[in-house]
Amino acid sequence: MSRDEELVERCLAGERDAWDDLVLAYSRYVYAICSQGYRLQGADAEDAFQDVFLRVYDRLGTLRDPAALRPWIAQLTRRVCLDRLAAGKREEPLELEDTGIDSTIEELDEAFAVREALTELSAECQEVLDRFFGRDESYRTIGEELGIPSGTIASRISRCLARLRERLTAGDATAGRNEGGSPSGEVGT
Amino acid sequence: MSNTPPDPIRGAGFAAGRTAASAARLVADVARLSGDSWTGATGAAAQANTLADRLETLAEADADAFAAALAALGEKSAELEKRMEWAAAVPLEIAEAAADVAHTAALVAERCDGLVRADAAGAAALAAGAALAAAQLVRANLTVATDDPRLARALRAADDARYSASRALDSGV
Repeated sequence: MSRDEELVERCLAGERDAWDDLVLAYSRYVYAICSQGYRLQGADAEDAFQDVFLRVYDRLGTLRDPAALRPWIAQLTRRVCLDRLAAGKREEPLELEDTGIDSTIEELDEAFAVREALTELSAECQEVLDRFFGRDESYRTIGEELGIPSGTIASRISRCLARLRERLTAGDATAGRNEGGSPSGEVGT
Repeated sequence: MSNTPPDPIRGAGFAAGRTAASAARLVADVARLSGDSWTGATGAAAQANTLADRLETLAEADADAFAAALAALGEKSAELEKRMEWAAAVPLEIAEAAADVAHTAALVAERCDGLVRADAAGAAALAAGAALAAAQLVRANLTVATDDPRLARALRAADDARYSASRALDSGV
């Protein structure tokens, strides 16, 4: 069972911490769609964010395929953002607002998938990859900080990247199985 | 006669950063070409490309730091010390990143397809030269004393890079 399937099951079973976990897991994703995809800022972005999770809470029971939680939340978020833009009577046509949204969401999905796959790696791999790619640390600094010979850092990073790739490929295969038809259930307003 | 202002002088730090970045791109290309025979090739290419991106940014930062330091020296500005500190910090980062390029190049040279091994070794040599040039800039900086830990780090990076280049040049021989 995937993490999303488990989350949905726990939420629907009324488990106390499950909703917090769901919000925690998807808050950055939802906020990024609102702010980067639809350029909502400040209070608008905050309101849209709240609205999305209210709708998730109300409608989670209508989600037909729990493994499709992420695309379902993405669709809900798009709808909420478009409603908010329409309500604000912005001058730009909504069609233009929607231009490029697909690619933005695609990029966010990719980043999200990488982040998710990273959490499945060993603590050492997570640490090494974060230090090299996220914090721009040199091999020597990484080696000194982690007590590992610096001459082995590049090989370690390569091995960790190979593992990350395996996880991502496995994730793609799961996503592929979930494609087709309309897995997401009701998202209408 | 043209009124176009002359190009700014960018200095050795910029050249070292760009050279190491080019070497890193070369390492990434060699790794990619060796993907069929080496499972770690993709990871090595990703690291090399990341180092190239980092060094391209550092090269531009060095050009800015160099120009700011030159201006402060000319004007005898009160900002002089701060700007000189900046002008030492960027080459130090270039030296360390270039050492990492040399290390990755050595790793790739030892595992890549024999047809492109000389390119990986050449990249390691270029990166080592860049690391040495950048370390020299740290040494020459007016704010850096001989016992300054920044200088020790820069020289250590240059040594590491030289060692990696030797490994790369000896691989497959």
